[in-house]
Amino acid sequence: MDNGISIDEMKREVRKIIAEIAEIPEADIKDESLFFEELGIDSMMALEIVTAIEKRYRIHLPEEQIPNIRSISKVCELLKGLLTASTQNA
Amino acid sequence: MESIWPISKIRETLPQRYPFLFIDKVIEIDQAAGRVVCLKNLTQNEHFFVGHFPDNPIMPGVIMIEVMAQASIIGFAALKPEVAAKKPTYFLGKVEVKFSKPVRPGDQLFLEVQKEKMIATAGIVSASAKVDGQVVAQARITFGVKVYE
Repeated sequence: MDNGISIDEMKREVRKIIAEIAEIPEADIKDESLFFEELGIDSMMALEIVTAIEKRYRIHLPEEQIPNIRSISKVCELLKGLLTASTQNA
Repeated sequence: MESIWPISKIRETLPQRYPFLFIDKVIEIDQAAGRVVCLKNLTQNEHFFVGHFPDNPIMPGVIMIEVMAQASIIGFAALKPEVAAKKPTYFLGKVEVKFSKPVRPGDQLFLEVQKEKMIATAGIVSASAKVDGQVVAQARITFGVKVYE
C-alpha cells in the first residue's frame, strides 16, 4: 500500500481515468491491455491520461518514462515507484 | 508594441500561409512559466469577414480556435525549440472552448497560451483570447507533434 492507496484501488482509479479520456468502457480495459496496440489510444490521449494521473496523485511523471506507460499494470508500477520515492523524500 | 520574434521567425515556425497565417506578433515568452503571448490584428480585409457576415462582420469561432492553436504552436516552438526546428507537422487533437464576446474588425486579439503539459510528441495548453483586456474566448487544446524524418 502506498500513500494510503492499495494497488487494486490505484488500478481502479487509473482504469476510470483511461475509460473517460479514451471513451472506452471500463470493462474493456484489462490490467495488461496495451494502450496503443489494443485500445487505440494515441499519443495525444496518452498525454491527457498522464496529465490526469499527475493531477490525481500530485506527482510528476518524467517525460522519458511516458513511453513506458503502455498498460494499467505498467502505469501502476511506475506510480508505485514514484509515490514510494516521494514518501521517502518527505 | 514590439514583437520579440521577427515576422521571418513566425513564418519559419508556423506552417500555415495566406490566408490562414494568423499570428502577427509574439509579445512575450516566459519559458520558466511555460507561457507565451501573441497578437493577431483584425482588419476589415480578412477573407472570413466577407461572408461572415456581409453586413455584420464577426470573427467565426472556428477561426478563433485556429488562431489559439497557432499561438499554441508558437508556445511549443518556444518551449521545445529542438523539436520545432525539425519542422514537424502539428495535429489538432481535441478542443474544449468557450466563446464570450464577438470579435470584429479593428479589434486586437491577444492570445495567451499556458502550458499544462508538453512533451516532444504532444502538448496540452490552456489558451485565452482577449480584446481590450477582456476575455473573448477560452480553450483547452490538445495537439500532437510528428516529425517526419
